[in-house]
Amino acid sequence: MSKPPISDDEVHAWADRQLPPDRRAAFEQAMAREPALAAKAAEIERQNAWLRDGLDELLHEPLPPRLVDAARVPPARRSWRWLATAAVSAASLLVGLGGGWYLRDAALELAGTPTTFAQEAAFTHALYAGDVNRPVEVWAPEEKRLVAWLSKRLDYPLRAPDLNSAGYALVGGRLVAGNERPTALFMYENAAKQRLTLQARKQAPGTDETAFRYSVEDGIGVYYWVDDQCAYALSGSLDRAQLLRIGRLVYAQLSSPEAPK
Amino acid sequence: MLQAVNGAFAPAAEARHAGILVMSVDAPLPHPDLLAAIPRLRRYARVLTGDATRADDLVQETLARGWEKRRLWAAGTDLRAWLFTIMHNVFVNQRAVAMRDAQNVSLDGDGEGGAAWQVPVRAPQQAHVELLEVFREMSRLPPEQREVLVLAAVEEMRYEEIAAVLSIPVGTVMSRLSRARARLRRSVSDAGSDPVTPLKIVR
Repeated sequence: MSKPPISDDEVHAWADRQLPPDRRAAFEQAMAREPALAAKAAEIERQNAWLRDGLDELLHEPLPPRLVDAARVPPARRSWRWLATAAVSAASLLVGLGGGWYLRDAALELAGTPTTFAQEAAFTHALYAGDVNRPVEVWAPEEKRLVAWLSKRLDYPLRAPDLNSAGYALVGGRLVAGNERPTALFMYENAAKQRLTLQARKQAPGTDETAFRYSVEDGIGVYYWVDDQCAYALSGSLDRAQLLRIGRLVYAQLSSPEAPK
Repeated sequence: MLQAVNGAFAPAAEARHAGILVMSVDAPLPHPDLLAAIPRLRRYARVLTGDATRADDLVQETLARGWEKRRLWAAGTDLRAWLFTIMHNVFVNQRAVAMRDAQNVSLDGDGEGGAAWQVPVRAPQQAHVELLEVFREMSRLPPEQREVLVLAAVEEMRYEEIAAVLSIPVGTVMSRLSRARARLRRSVSDAGSDPVTPLKIVR
Protein backbone atom coordinates (compact mmCIF):
# COMPACT_ATOMS: atom_id res chain seq x y z
CA MET A 1 0.00 0.00 0.00
CA SER A 2 1.45 3.35 -0.97
CA LYS A 3 1.85 6.04 1.67
CA PRO A 4 0.58 9.60 1.03
CA PRO A 5 3.29 11.82 -0.50
CA ILE A 6 5.24 14.26 1.67
CA SER A 7 3.59 17.67 1.91
CA ASP A 8 5.32 21.01 2.39
CA ASP A 9 3.69 21.32 5.82
CA GLU A 10 5.32 18.07 6.84
CA VAL A 11 8.77 19.39 6.00
CA HIS A 12 8.18 22.20 8.48
CA ALA A 13 6.66 19.85 11.04
CA TRP A 14 9.66 17.54 10.79
CA ALA A 15 12.15 20.37 11.28
CA ASP A 16 10.08 21.74 14.17
CA ARG A 17 9.90 18.27 15.80
CA GLN A 18 6.15 18.22 15.40
CA LEU A 19 5.70 15.50 12.80
CA PRO A 20 3.45 12.76 14.22
CA PRO A 21 5.41 9.58 14.96
CA ASP A 22 3.45 7.56 12.39
CA ARG A 23 4.77 9.79 9.59
CA ARG A 24 8.37 10.08 10.69
CA ALA A 25 9.62 6.87 9.12
CA ALA A 26 7.98 7.72 5.79
CA PHE A 27 9.49 11.17 5.91
CA GLU A 28 12.97 9.97 6.64
CA GLN A 29 12.78 7.40 3.84
CA ALA A 30 11.68 10.14 1.45
CA MET A 31 14.63 12.29 2.57
CA ALA A 32 16.99 9.45 1.78
CA ARG A 33 15.49 9.19 -1.71
CA GLU A 34 15.26 12.90 -2.49
CA PRO A 35 18.32 15.04 -1.72
CA ALA A 36 16.33 18.23 -2.40
CA LEU A 37 13.86 17.36 0.33
CA ALA A 38 16.65 16.54 2.77
CA ALA A 39 18.40 19.82 1.95
CA LYS A 40 15.22 21.81 2.51
CA ALA A 41 14.54 20.17 5.87
CA ALA A 42 18.15 20.68 6.97
CA GLU A 43 17.97 24.32 5.90
CA ILE A 44 14.92 24.92 8.10
CA GLU A 45 16.65 23.25 11.04
CA ARG A 46 19.65 25.51 10.50
CA GLN A 47 17.45 28.60 10.37
CA ASN A 48 15.80 27.55 13.62
CA ALA A 49 19.17 27.14 15.29
CA TRP A 50 20.31 30.57 14.09
CA LEU A 51 17.14 32.23 15.33
CA ARG A 52 17.40 30.54 18.72
CA ASP A 53 21.11 31.34 19.07
CA GLY A 54 20.61 34.93 18.03
CA LEU A 55 17.74 35.59 20.41
CA ASP A 56 18.99 33.54 23.35
CA GLU A 57 20.81 36.51 24.87
CA LEU A 58 17.53 38.36 25.39
CA LEU A 59 16.41 35.75 27.92
CA HIS A 60 19.34 36.54 30.19
CA GLU A 61 18.95 40.29 30.43
CA PRO A 62 18.28 41.50 33.99
CA LEU A 63 14.61 42.22 34.64
CA PRO A 64 13.70 45.88 34.97
CA PRO A 65 12.08 46.66 38.36
CA ARG A 66 8.88 47.91 36.77
CA LEU A 67 8.22 44.48 35.27
CA VAL A 68 8.92 42.74 38.57
CA ASP A 69 6.41 45.18 40.11
CA ALA A 70 3.89 44.31 37.43
CA ALA A 71 4.10 40.65 38.51
CA ARG A 72 3.20 41.43 42.11
CA VAL A 73 -0.10 40.22 43.43
CA PRO A 74 -2.27 43.32 43.45
CA PRO A 75 -3.96 43.96 46.80
CA ALA A 76 -7.39 42.36 46.89
CA ARG A 77 -9.12 45.33 48.44
CA ARG A 78 -7.48 48.72 48.43
CA SER A 79 -9.45 50.21 51.27
CA TRP A 80 -8.70 47.23 53.47
CA ARG A 81 -4.99 47.53 52.91
CA TRP A 82 -5.08 51.22 53.51
CA LEU A 83 -6.70 50.49 56.85
CA ALA A 84 -4.05 47.90 57.60
CA THR A 85 -1.24 50.34 56.79
CA ALA A 86 -2.81 52.92 59.05
CA ALA A 87 -3.18 50.34 61.80
CA VAL A 88 0.46 49.30 61.55
CA SER A 89 1.55 52.91 61.74
CA ALA A 90 -0.69 53.53 64.70
CA ALA A 91 0.62 50.43 66.42
CA SER A 92 4.20 51.40 65.72
CA LEU A 93 3.52 54.78 67.22
CA LEU A 94 2.21 53.06 70.33
CA VAL A 95 5.36 51.00 70.50
CA GLY A 96 7.34 54.17 70.14
CA LEU A 97 5.55 55.46 73.20
CA GLY A 98 6.46 52.32 75.10
CA GLY A 99 3.23 50.55 74.21
CA GLY A 100 2.75 46.84 73.75
CA TRP A 101 3.66 44.52 70.95
CA TYR A 102 0.24 43.07 71.03
CA LEU A 103 -1.33 45.80 68.99
CA ARG A 104 1.42 45.67 66.48
CA ASP A 105 1.00 41.95 66.01
CA ALA A 106 -2.69 42.48 65.58
CA ALA A 107 -1.90 45.10 62.96
CA LEU A 108 0.43 42.74 61.14
CA GLU A 109 -2.30 40.16 61.16
CA LEU A 110 -4.68 42.73 59.73
CA ALA A 111 -2.15 43.63 57.06
CA GLY A 112 -3.20 40.51 55.29
CA THR A 113 0.09 38.76 54.81
CA PRO A 114 -1.39 35.35 55.58
CA THR A 115 -3.90 36.05 52.85
CA THR A 116 -1.00 36.41 50.47
CA PHE A 117 0.07 32.88 51.28
CA ALA A 118 -3.50 31.71 50.73
CA GLN A 119 -3.72 33.68 47.47
CA GLU A 120 -0.53 32.13 46.24
CA ALA A 121 -1.64 28.68 47.27
CA ALA A 122 -4.95 29.14 45.44
CA PHE A 123 -3.24 30.40 42.30
CA THR A 124 -0.78 27.54 42.34
CA HIS A 125 -3.64 25.13 42.94
CA ALA A 126 -5.54 26.50 39.94
CA LEU A 127 -2.44 26.33 37.80
CA TYR A 128 -1.60 22.69 38.45
CA ALA A 129 -4.85 21.04 39.54
CA GLY A 130 -6.38 22.03 36.22
CA ASP A 131 -3.57 20.47 34.25
CA VAL A 132 -4.93 17.22 32.92
CA ASN A 133 -1.76 15.73 31.54
CA ARG A 134 1.01 16.97 33.74
CA PRO A 135 -0.27 18.16 37.10
CA VAL A 136 2.81 16.84 38.90
CA GLU A 137 6.49 16.31 38.20
CA VAL A 138 6.81 13.06 40.10
CA TRP A 139 3.89 10.65 40.19
CA ALA A 140 2.51 8.72 43.16
CA PRO A 141 4.14 5.37 42.31
CA GLU A 142 7.44 7.07 43.12
CA GLU A 143 6.15 8.53 46.38
CA LYS A 144 9.28 7.66 48.34
CA ARG A 145 11.54 9.41 45.87
CA LEU A 146 9.14 12.35 45.70
CA VAL A 147 9.03 12.84 49.46
CA ALA A 148 12.80 12.48 49.78
CA TRP A 149 13.40 14.98 46.99
CA LEU A 150 10.98 17.60 48.32
CA SER A 151 12.26 17.17 51.90
CA LYS A 152 15.76 17.79 50.65
CA ARG A 153 14.77 20.88 48.66
CA LEU A 154 12.79 22.36 51.57
CA ASP A 155 15.37 21.24 54.11
CA TYR A 156 12.50 19.93 56.20
CA PRO A 157 11.31 16.35 56.71
CA LEU A 158 8.02 16.20 54.82
CA ARG A 159 5.38 13.53 54.57
CA ALA A 160 2.62 13.04 52.05
CA PRO A 161 -0.47 12.41 54.18
CA ASP A 162 -2.64 9.43 53.31
CA LEU A 163 -6.09 10.79 52.43
CA ASN A 164 -7.59 7.57 51.13
CA SER A 165 -10.00 7.48 54.06
CA ALA A 166 -11.45 10.74 52.75
CA GLY A 167 -11.65 9.33 49.23
CA TYR A 168 -8.58 11.13 47.88
CA ALA A 169 -5.60 9.29 46.44
CA LEU A 170 -2.17 10.80 45.99
CA VAL A 171 -1.51 11.83 42.38
CA GLY A 172 2.07 12.97 42.97
CA GLY A 173 3.87 16.19 43.66
CA ARG A 174 6.15 18.93 42.48
CA LEU A 175 8.38 21.73 43.66
CA VAL A 176 6.93 25.23 43.28
CA ALA A 177 8.75 28.54 43.51
CA GLY A 178 7.38 30.32 46.57
CA ASN A 179 8.00 33.68 48.21
CA GLU A 180 11.71 33.53 49.02
CA ARG A 181 11.39 29.84 49.85
CA PRO A 182 10.63 26.76 47.80
CA THR A 183 7.21 25.24 48.28
CA ALA A 184 6.36 21.54 48.07
CA LEU A 185 3.09 20.57 46.47
CA PHE A 186 1.27 17.26 46.89
CA MET A 187 -1.77 16.63 44.74
CA TYR A 188 -4.69 14.33 45.49
CA GLU A 189 -7.66 13.26 43.42
CA ASN A 190 -10.97 11.55 44.20
CA ALA A 191 -13.06 9.20 42.04
CA ALA A 192 -14.91 12.19 40.56
CA LYS A 193 -11.53 13.62 39.43
CA GLN A 194 -11.76 16.50 41.87
CA ARG A 195 -8.34 17.57 42.99
CA LEU A 196 -6.91 18.86 46.23
CA THR A 197 -3.44 20.24 46.79
CA LEU A 198 -1.45 20.40 49.96
CA GLN A 199 1.36 22.94 49.81
CA ALA A 200 4.07 23.18 52.42
CA ARG A 201 6.89 25.59 53.00
CA LYS A 202 9.38 25.93 55.79
CA GLN A 203 9.01 28.96 58.04
CA ALA A 204 11.63 31.11 59.67
CA PRO A 205 12.73 29.76 63.08
CA GLY A 206 10.73 31.20 65.94
CA THR A 207 7.44 31.24 64.08
CA ASP A 208 4.64 30.22 66.41
CA GLU A 209 1.95 27.75 65.59
CA THR A 210 -1.35 29.03 64.33
CA ALA A 211 -4.86 27.71 64.33
CA PHE A 212 -6.57 26.83 61.10
CA ARG A 213 -7.45 29.83 59.02
CA TYR A 214 -9.75 29.75 56.08
CA SER A 215 -10.17 31.96 53.05
CA VAL A 216 -11.71 31.75 49.61
CA GLU A 217 -9.57 32.97 46.73
CA ASP A 218 -11.14 33.08 43.29
CA GLY A 219 -13.61 30.37 44.24
CA ILE A 220 -10.95 28.08 45.68
CA GLY A 221 -11.16 27.34 49.38
CA VAL A 222 -7.84 27.41 51.26
CA TYR A 223 -7.15 26.20 54.80
CA TYR A 224 -3.76 27.19 56.10
CA TRP A 225 -1.86 26.84 59.30
CA VAL A 226 1.66 26.79 60.74
CA ASP A 227 2.86 23.76 62.57
CA ASP A 228 6.36 23.10 63.82
CA GLN A 229 8.17 25.55 61.54
CA CYS A 230 6.26 24.55 58.46
CA ALA A 231 3.35 26.41 56.89
CA TYR A 232 0.69 24.38 55.13
CA ALA A 233 -2.10 25.30 52.76
CA LEU A 234 -4.78 22.86 51.71
CA SER A 235 -6.65 24.07 48.63
CA GLY A 236 -9.60 22.75 46.69
CA SER A 237 -12.96 23.63 45.21
CA LEU A 238 -14.78 22.03 48.14
CA ASP A 239 -17.10 23.57 50.65
CA ARG A 240 -15.69 24.76 53.90
CA ALA A 241 -16.88 21.86 56.05
CA GLN A 242 -15.43 19.21 53.71
CA LEU A 243 -12.15 21.04 53.39
CA LEU A 244 -11.89 21.48 57.14
CA ARG A 245 -12.56 17.78 57.70
CA ILE A 246 -9.70 16.87 55.35
CA GLY A 247 -7.55 19.61 56.86
CA ARG A 248 -7.92 18.05 60.28
CA LEU A 249 -7.03 14.67 58.87
CA VAL A 250 -3.86 16.12 57.33
CA TYR A 251 -3.03 17.93 60.54
CA ALA A 252 -3.52 14.83 62.66
CA GLN A 253 -1.29 12.71 60.43
CA LEU A 254 1.47 15.28 60.16
CA SER A 255 1.59 15.95 63.89
CA SER A 256 1.73 12.27 64.85
CA PRO A 257 5.34 11.33 65.61
CA GLU A 258 5.52 8.23 63.42
CA ALA A 259 4.70 8.12 59.76
CA PRO A 260 1.49 6.12 59.33
CA LYS A 261 1.64 3.06 57.06
CA MET B 1 -0.60 35.14 69.64
CA LEU B 2 -1.26 35.55 65.97
CA GLN B 3 1.61 35.30 63.58
CA ALA B 4 2.10 36.11 59.96
CA VAL B 5 2.18 32.85 58.05
CA ASN B 6 3.97 34.16 55.03
CA GLY B 7 7.71 33.98 54.58
CA ALA B 8 7.55 37.56 53.40
CA PHE B 9 7.34 38.66 56.99
CA ALA B 10 10.34 36.82 58.25
CA PRO B 11 12.39 40.04 58.06
CA ALA B 12 9.71 41.78 60.13
CA ALA B 13 9.90 39.04 62.75
CA GLU B 14 13.67 39.42 62.93
CA ALA B 15 13.36 43.17 63.10
CA ARG B 16 11.07 42.77 66.08
CA HIS B 17 13.67 40.80 67.96
CA ALA B 18 16.18 43.47 67.22
CA GLY B 19 13.80 46.10 68.54
CA ILE B 20 13.49 47.83 65.19
CA LEU B 21 10.17 49.26 64.16
CA VAL B 22 8.64 48.25 60.89
CA MET B 23 6.56 51.15 59.75
CA SER B 24 4.85 50.03 56.62
CA VAL B 25 3.25 46.98 55.14
CA ASP B 26 5.57 45.27 52.67
CA ALA B 27 4.63 45.36 49.03
CA PRO B 28 3.21 42.02 47.92
CA LEU B 29 5.83 39.75 46.43
CA PRO B 30 5.91 38.98 42.72
CA HIS B 31 3.91 35.96 41.73
CA PRO B 32 6.43 33.21 40.93
CA ASP B 33 4.69 31.92 37.82
CA LEU B 34 4.26 35.39 36.38
CA LEU B 35 7.84 36.25 37.25
CA ALA B 36 9.05 33.12 35.52
CA ALA B 37 7.13 34.05 32.37
CA ILE B 38 8.68 37.51 32.02
CA PRO B 39 11.94 36.68 30.17
CA ARG B 40 10.11 34.89 27.37
CA LEU B 41 7.41 37.54 27.19
CA ARG B 42 10.12 40.19 26.91
CA ARG B 43 11.93 38.34 24.18
CA TYR B 44 8.76 37.88 22.18
CA ALA B 45 7.75 41.52 22.77
CA ARG B 46 11.17 42.53 21.50
CA VAL B 47 10.63 40.59 18.33
CA LEU B 48 7.14 42.04 17.89
CA THR B 49 8.08 45.66 18.47
CA GLY B 50 11.76 45.67 17.50
CA ASP B 51 12.38 48.21 20.27
CA ALA B 52 13.49 47.66 23.88
CA THR B 53 11.35 50.29 25.57
CA ARG B 54 8.23 49.52 23.61
CA ALA B 55 8.79 45.84 24.33
CA ASP B 56 8.88 46.39 28.08
CA ASP B 57 5.81 48.63 27.88
CA LEU B 58 4.06 45.80 26.09
CA VAL B 59 5.10 43.24 28.73
CA GLN B 60 3.98 45.52 31.54
CA GLU B 61 0.60 46.01 29.93
CA THR B 62 0.32 42.26 29.36
CA LEU B 63 1.01 41.44 33.02
CA ALA B 64 -1.52 44.04 34.15
CA ARG B 65 -4.19 42.61 31.84
CA GLY B 66 -3.24 39.12 32.92
CA TRP B 67 -4.14 40.04 36.49
CA GLU B 68 -7.34 41.76 35.50
CA LYS B 69 -8.42 38.83 33.41
CA ARG B 70 -7.13 36.02 35.57
CA ARG B 71 -10.63 34.64 36.03
CA LEU B 72 -10.78 34.10 32.28
CA TRP B 73 -7.68 31.97 32.29
CA ALA B 74 -8.81 28.40 31.72
CA ALA B 75 -7.23 26.26 34.39
CA GLY B 76 -5.34 23.41 32.82
CA THR B 77 -4.11 25.45 29.89
CA ASP B 78 -0.57 26.71 29.55
CA LEU B 79 -0.07 29.99 31.41
CA ARG B 80 2.66 31.07 29.02
CA ALA B 81 0.44 30.56 25.95
CA TRP B 82 -2.35 32.49 27.66
CA LEU B 83 -0.03 35.42 28.39
CA PHE B 84 1.29 35.33 24.82
CA THR B 85 -2.31 35.52 23.62
CA ILE B 86 -2.95 38.60 25.76
CA MET B 87 0.26 40.17 24.52
CA HIS B 88 -0.60 39.52 20.90
CA ASN B 89 -4.00 41.17 21.37
CA VAL B 90 -2.55 44.19 23.15
CA PHE B 91 0.05 44.56 20.39
CA VAL B 92 -2.48 44.31 17.59
CA ASN B 93 -4.71 46.91 19.26
CA GLN B 94 -1.80 49.27 19.81
CA ARG B 95 -0.75 48.89 16.20
CA ALA B 96 -4.27 49.58 15.00
CA VAL B 97 -4.38 52.77 17.07
CA ALA B 98 -0.95 53.84 15.83
CA MET B 99 -1.99 53.29 12.24
CA ARG B 100 -5.15 55.31 12.72
CA ASP B 101 -3.14 58.13 14.27
CA ALA B 102 -0.55 58.20 11.53
CA GLN B 103 -2.21 57.03 8.38
CA ASN B 104 0.64 57.74 6.05
CA VAL B 105 3.17 55.83 8.13
CA SER B 106 3.06 52.18 7.30
CA LEU B 107 3.93 50.04 10.28
CA ASP B 108 2.76 46.94 8.62
CA GLY B 109 3.80 47.18 5.00
CA ASP B 110 5.70 44.35 3.46
CA GLY B 111 9.31 45.36 4.00
CA GLU B 112 8.45 48.95 4.85
CA GLY B 113 8.58 48.69 8.61
CA GLY B 114 11.96 47.01 8.73
CA ALA B 115 14.01 50.13 9.34
CA ALA B 116 12.54 50.67 12.81
CA TRP B 117 12.96 47.07 13.87
CA GLN B 118 16.06 46.58 16.02
CA VAL B 119 16.85 43.48 17.94
CA PRO B 120 20.25 42.85 19.53
CA VAL B 121 21.64 39.66 18.12
CA ARG B 122 24.41 37.71 19.71
CA ALA B 123 26.95 37.08 17.01
CA PRO B 124 29.11 34.07 17.85
CA GLN B 125 32.88 34.18 17.57
CA GLN B 126 33.12 33.01 14.00
CA ALA B 127 30.43 35.52 13.10
CA HIS B 128 28.00 33.55 11.08
CA VAL B 129 27.32 35.63 8.04
CA GLU B 130 24.25 33.51 7.58
CA LEU B 131 22.93 34.23 11.07
CA LEU B 132 23.19 37.95 10.47
CA GLU B 133 21.56 37.53 7.08
CA VAL B 134 18.70 35.62 8.61
CA PHE B 135 18.07 38.41 11.11
CA ARG B 136 18.42 41.11 8.50
CA GLU B 137 15.79 39.40 6.44
CA MET B 138 13.63 38.85 9.50
CA SER B 139 13.55 42.59 10.07
CA ARG B 140 11.97 42.94 6.64
CA LEU B 141 9.32 40.30 7.14
CA PRO B 142 5.74 41.42 7.62
CA PRO B 143 5.03 41.25 11.38
CA GLU B 144 2.46 38.50 10.80
CA GLN B 145 5.10 36.22 9.33
CA ARG B 146 7.71 37.18 11.89
CA GLU B 147 5.56 36.28 14.85
CA VAL B 148 4.60 32.88 13.48
CA LEU B 149 8.23 32.15 12.69
CA VAL B 150 9.44 33.08 16.17
CA LEU B 151 6.68 31.20 17.97
CA ALA B 152 7.47 28.06 15.98
CA ALA B 153 11.25 28.23 15.75
CA VAL B 154 12.27 29.99 18.96
CA GLU B 155 9.40 29.43 21.39
CA GLU B 156 8.93 25.94 19.97
CA MET B 157 5.18 26.14 20.29
CA ARG B 158 3.00 23.57 18.60
CA TYR B 159 1.22 24.82 15.48
CA GLU B 160 -2.16 24.42 17.18
CA GLU B 161 -0.96 26.56 20.10
CA ILE B 162 0.30 29.24 17.71
CA ALA B 163 -3.07 29.25 15.97
CA ALA B 164 -4.78 29.74 19.35
CA VAL B 165 -2.39 32.50 20.46
CA LEU B 166 -2.86 34.44 17.23
CA SER B 167 -6.55 33.55 16.70
CA ILE B 168 -5.94 32.26 13.20
CA PRO B 169 -6.52 28.85 11.57
CA VAL B 170 -3.69 26.32 11.61
CA GLY B 171 -3.62 26.49 7.79
CA THR B 172 -2.77 30.19 8.01
CA VAL B 173 0.00 29.42 10.51
CA MET B 174 1.50 26.97 8.02
CA SER B 175 1.29 29.28 5.02
CA ARG B 176 2.85 32.20 6.91
CA LEU B 177 5.58 29.94 8.22
CA SER B 178 6.29 28.62 4.76
CA ARG B 179 6.49 32.12 3.25
CA ALA B 180 8.69 33.43 6.07
CA ARG B 181 11.13 30.56 5.72
CA ALA B 182 11.27 30.83 1.96
CA ARG B 183 12.29 34.47 2.29
CA LEU B 184 14.98 33.70 4.82
CA ARG B 185 16.28 30.95 2.57
CA ARG B 186 16.49 33.29 -0.40
CA SER B 187 18.25 35.94 1.65
CA VAL B 188 20.93 33.54 2.81
CA SER B 189 21.55 32.29 -0.70
CA ASP B 190 22.18 35.80 -2.02
CA ALA B 191 23.90 37.08 1.09
CA GLY B 192 25.49 40.50 1.26
CA SER B 193 23.23 42.31 -1.18
CA ASP B 194 22.21 45.10 1.21
CA PRO B 195 24.81 47.04 3.20
CA VAL B 196 22.21 48.82 5.38
CA THR B 197 21.34 46.77 8.41
CA PRO B 198 19.08 47.51 11.37
CA LEU B 199 20.97 44.94 13.39
CA LYS B 200 22.87 45.87 16.46
CA ILE B 201 25.58 43.36 17.08
CA VAL B 202 26.17 42.50 20.69
CA ARG B 203 29.78 41.56 21.32
